Amino acid sequence: MTVDPIDYAVISQALLSVAREMGAKLIRSAYSTILREARDGSAAILDRDGYTVAQAELIPMQLGTIGSVFQACAAAYDLDAMTEDEFFAINDPYSGGQHLQDVFFFHPIFVDGRRIGFAASVAHHLDLGGGSPGLSVNALDVHSEGIIIPPTKCSMSRDWNGGVLERLLRANVRAPLQTMGDFDAQIAANRIGIQRVQELAAKYGGAKVEAVMAAFQDYSERRARAGIAAAPDGVYHGEATLDDDGLSDTPIRICSTVTIEGDRLLVDYEGTDPQVATTLNAPLASVLSATMSCVKMVLTSPDIPFNAGLLRPVDVVVPVGSILNPRYPAPVRARMLACYRAFNATMKALAQAVPEKVIAGGYDATTSGCLAWLGPSGYSVYLEIFGGGFGAGARRNGCDAVDSPLSNCANTPVEAIDQDYTFFRVEDYALLPDSFGHGRHRGGTGFRRAFRILEDGATISLYSDHFRGTAEPLFGGGPGTTGSCEIHRGDEVISLPSKAKADLRKGDLVVFSFGGGAGYGDPADRRPAEIEADIADGLMSREAALSAYPQLREATDA
Amino acid sequence: MRTGVEVGGTFTDLVAVDGDDIFLTKVPSTPSAPDRGVLEALSRSPGPLARIEDLVHGSTVATNAILERKGAKIAFVTTVGFRDILFLQRHDRLNIYDLAYAKPEPVVKRRDCFEVTERCDSQGRVIRPLDVEAEVERLLPQLKAGGYAAIAICLLSSYVNPTHERQLQAELMRRLPGIFVTGSADVSQEFREFERSSTTTLAAYVQPVIDAYLDRLSSAVAAQGFAGRFSVMQSNGGRLPSEGMRRNAIAALFSGPAAGVVGAVRQCGRSGVGNLIAFDMGGTSTDVCLVTDGRPGISADTTIGGLPVRTPVLDIETVGAGGGSLVWIDEGGMLRVGPQSSGAEPGPACYGRGGTAPTITDAHVIRGTIRPEAFLGGAMTIHVDKAHAAFEPIANELGMSIPAAAAAALRLAVANIVQAIQLVSTEKGRDPRDYALVPYGGAGPLLAAEVAEELGITTVVVTPNPGVLSAFGLIASDFSRIYARTQRFTVDDDTGEVIRAAFADLEQIARRDFATYGLGGELDFVLIAEMRFAGQAFEVPVELPLDALCRLDRHAVTAAFVAAHERIFFHAGLPNQKIEVVGFRLEVARPVDSLPKFRERPLGRPTAARATMSGEAGSFEAAVFSCPDLPTDETFAGPLLAEGFSSTLYVPERWSLTRDASENIILTREAT
Repeated sequence: MTVDPIDYAVISQALLSVAREMGAKLIRSAYSTILREARDGSAAILDRDGYTVAQAELIPMQLGTIGSVFQACAAAYDLDAMTEDEFFAINDPYSGGQHLQDVFFFHPIFVDGRRIGFAASVAHHLDLGGGSPGLSVNALDVHSEGIIIPPTKCSMSRDWNGGVLERLLRANVRAPLQTMGDFDAQIAANRIGIQRVQELAAKYGGAKVEAVMAAFQDYSERRARAGIAAAPDGVYHGEATLDDDGLSDTPIRICSTVTIEGDRLLVDYEGTDPQVATTLNAPLASVLSATMSCVKMVLTSPDIPFNAGLLRPVDVVVPVGSILNPRYPAPVRARMLACYRAFNATMKALAQAVPEKVIAGGYDATTSGCLAWLGPSGYSVYLEIFGGGFGAGARRNGCDAVDSPLSNCANTPVEAIDQDYTFFRVEDYALLPDSFGHGRHRGGTGFRRAFRILEDGATISLYSDHFRGTAEPLFGGGPGTTGSCEIHRGDEVISLPSKAKADLRKGDLVVFSFGGGAGYGDPADRRPAEIEADIADGLMSREAALSAYPQLREATDA
Repeated sequence: MRTGVEVGGTFTDLVAVDGDDIFLTKVPSTPSAPDRGVLEALSRSPGPLARIEDLVHGSTVATNAILERKGAKIAFVTTVGFRDILFLQRHDRLNIYDLAYAKPEPVVKRRDCFEVTERCDSQGRVIRPLDVEAEVERLLPQLKAGGYAAIAICLLSSYVNPTHERQLQAELMRRLPGIFVTGSADVSQEFREFERSSTTTLAAYVQPVIDAYLDRLSSAVAAQGFAGRFSVMQSNGGRLPSEGMRRNAIAALFSGPAAGVVGAVRQCGRSGVGNLIAFDMGGTSTDVCLVTDGRPGISADTTIGGLPVRTPVLDIETVGAGGGSLVWIDEGGMLRVGPQSSGAEPGPACYGRGGTAPTITDAHVIRGTIRPEAFLGGAMTIHVDKAHAAFEPIANELGMSIPAAAAAALRLAVANIVQAIQLVSTEKGRDPRDYALVPYGGAGPLLAAEVAEELGITTVVVTPNPGVLSAFGLIASDFSRIYARTQRFTVDDDTGEVIRAAFADLEQIARRDFATYGLGGELDFVLIAEMRFAGQAFEVPVELPLDALCRLDRHAVTAAFVAAHERIFFHAGLPNQKIEVVGFRLEVARPVDSLPKFRERPLGRPTAARATMSGEAGSFEAAVFSCPDLPTDETFAGPLLAEGFSSTLYVPERWSLTRDASENIILTREAT
């Protein structure tokens, strides 16, 4: 069926607003701070075969992969046998998922008895069981990271609201009020998506809505191809390293080779180090998502809808058994770290092709920090995702103190933490002066957050990176700075490694620091007024400025 | 005489009503000193200023001060450890795929942010005491050296216990006379420190500007003999005496759009229409607001220039679709309208002022819904050929005729407006078909029937002079204030008592304030409880019945909340799930003495009886009427145009028009 261009424009925008409404209501009716404050969840409308059409722009990492996660369900079941009462649930990293904490729900959308699409939602859940509350840093395998949901077809009437799936999940999570409430928010988001798409179909006809779903993917494909074609053909290579695997001190190398040929692009991670024994392994779906996010951010304009059409001109090859495509049953919880290095390596390769469109390295780590305490009324689990400084680019300084590019988690307000947790308190939350790399444009500043522990028996778990290595600059800029996690106990300061778990005592001060981003271009080209403003605002010491910026010395000498 | 003066981006509008006489004028705005335009408009109004009993003013002074960063130099003071909260913000990005992302820039620099040692917890208990004299003594040299015109204070947990904040505020005012000091508790009592701090700094930033502006303006009108009541519109749709506003400038932030909504509500009330969707389409954007039973929705969750504002404002959605919005084709071949606009200069191509890019106004000219001889009463020359030339490349690329391309652009503009209306209706659990559409602004009546058609709305109400409805809204508005307080408790058997006590308390505060303003007489109250399931973080507003307050119990409160939650979020929780009240909002209004008359301004020129229009399906004939000449209670079938001084109304096929006894024009959709 051909659609007239105006119906197409109207219906495609309406589908985008359906996804946006789903995402907004998923967040606003959620219970856990990780979903309602940090907004670590996403929503989408898929076509009848499960290809992504429209998404709520929340978390790039989840958005890049909703469609491919769906395909695992499509492979396990006959879609044509699905009824309105049924839905798919999945979180298994070894059959298409990312990590266990991200649970995906897909509900079919029927119009006049025909399935015309799916409503999809995904949320990062606070705790899904596993070896430790919230975060199992020392997991031996994927089984010790939590409950695994393979691609599973469930029935709303039979399996939820007291049914087997709901009861099983409730019994396996440590904070059931928050987690089960968040599952309900996911289901409600999907119901909203179903209703809104049905309303569109009632108005324009189901066939027209389906035709627009297809045309909208073609549209993103066209725009992606135009973006790729505008970049010079060639073979480009980039590398990045992780600090270590959490057991030894050996850095882990990730290699990316980008081939641009006309309007097609190939990313090959050949040469990347093998999988590791710790949770740093990144399942294939997450690497595809990281890679696509990089290509989209660099080569296309931000307004292009991220849907299945965008994936068509891009191929990604990842060696099996590498840290970017591990074999079962390797643990995968901290997948984001390797994904960031894949993002960095691909960005560095693209920097040779389109130097004006890339940015330098940022802190570019997902730091997952988890404080947990078993109190008299059950587990209290606090989990927060931290970014750092962004890398600088050709047009601008890097963004200060913000979540890293593949994620977009908000912070949990200190006043929300004060309401929800009694075993610790945030004592400071501040930008870190002198934490960015210098350059024609400087990197974004890092920041710190410090927690006072108010009860004995609490634990801290974390994973992060760039505790040893730093963000890498581009075109003559300076590197970023490292992060750290310290326990201040009386006069003693205990430095934790970037992947760690430790017991805490009442009175401890846990201090997280997140490094700044790297600079872009020669510092000698930076505008003196900007340098002076950073000094006046206390973001840069005069000593640091004098040693980094020759133009300041000349001005001082004169 | 009652006079409303509304300062907009391009024009300053004045509406004066004196018994049965009505006077309208539009003068160019004077952005560098908006009071000049106000005085110019007043100088054109009939009679001396001494004859004005009631002068009401609305302006974009506060909005522009923020958007153009022309507010006062301010300092920010907060709890030790949190000096950077305005820069850390929420650690997220508004555009997730933009590598060159920059956060919205706060209105205060980091060098002007200071800390004091103190801390309260979420129960309001003091964890670290504040030594107010010592802390102020320590900060004083820097605060004096900084040359600040205002200081904003936001301490952690002050939403539950403002004692420290108030002590600090009092001491700073004592030690720094002449400097405005704004505490967060004065402007917002909601948790989330970044949003509250942002609101407080914005309030402090505009305070000296508004204060000086209102001072200048009231002196100027007084010097010309004005001795009546001078009041100012607020973002919540009510007015305050200017003295009250000078102490609470942030309340004026979104007063412009609010005035239009109030005008629509009041004038439609005369035709018995209480459920309406206000639809204001101007030159660069469209504002929409849902009104139920005569009461506009209220939101406490808005932004300006990306910075959060947490004070109650009318729940207005804005979309970048106005008469000047550009029509374009993106690199993927999709037709788009806005959000870029041709602006005041060069303006649409048909203005002949050098613009060559096609706009919505050009599309109307091509379709024939804007007739060159009737535009702005014929005061401006319209170049039909330039409109056609501007649309030619788009028509070629889409493989359509020029009229078809123009019609397509209008359909797309309609779709953008429909989406904005869905945000305030369907997404809030309201069905737009239960409402009448009320178009105003220069461009609203031209598209109203088509917007209604898309939403399934069968009634459109067009007020007299829809191009200056905001200025009418000023003099039609009530005096009002909204009181909010955080008070968190679980719904249980005591809930009825707790609510009654909270209402009594807020009511007393309101009566005292209104007495201070010199506003005697009856007050109207609406009580809202902000509620959620325990564990959630965002509240659903639930109106509590004041006429049944004495019988209110846990069951009634629970039932009202669960119904509201299900309407919006599609789920109703589990039976017996714990429910919390997080706070109350009391909306207080002192009704305006009487509603001024409003009728169409005579046009003073004849109109053609017929015109030729060209739509997607070819050309057709339409009747043309002059709005002031429309007889009462007679029905005319579309297609037709009804032209007035400030705008043109387009009535398409299958719609018909009747003017009612209240001077409103009612469009009705033929039943299908």
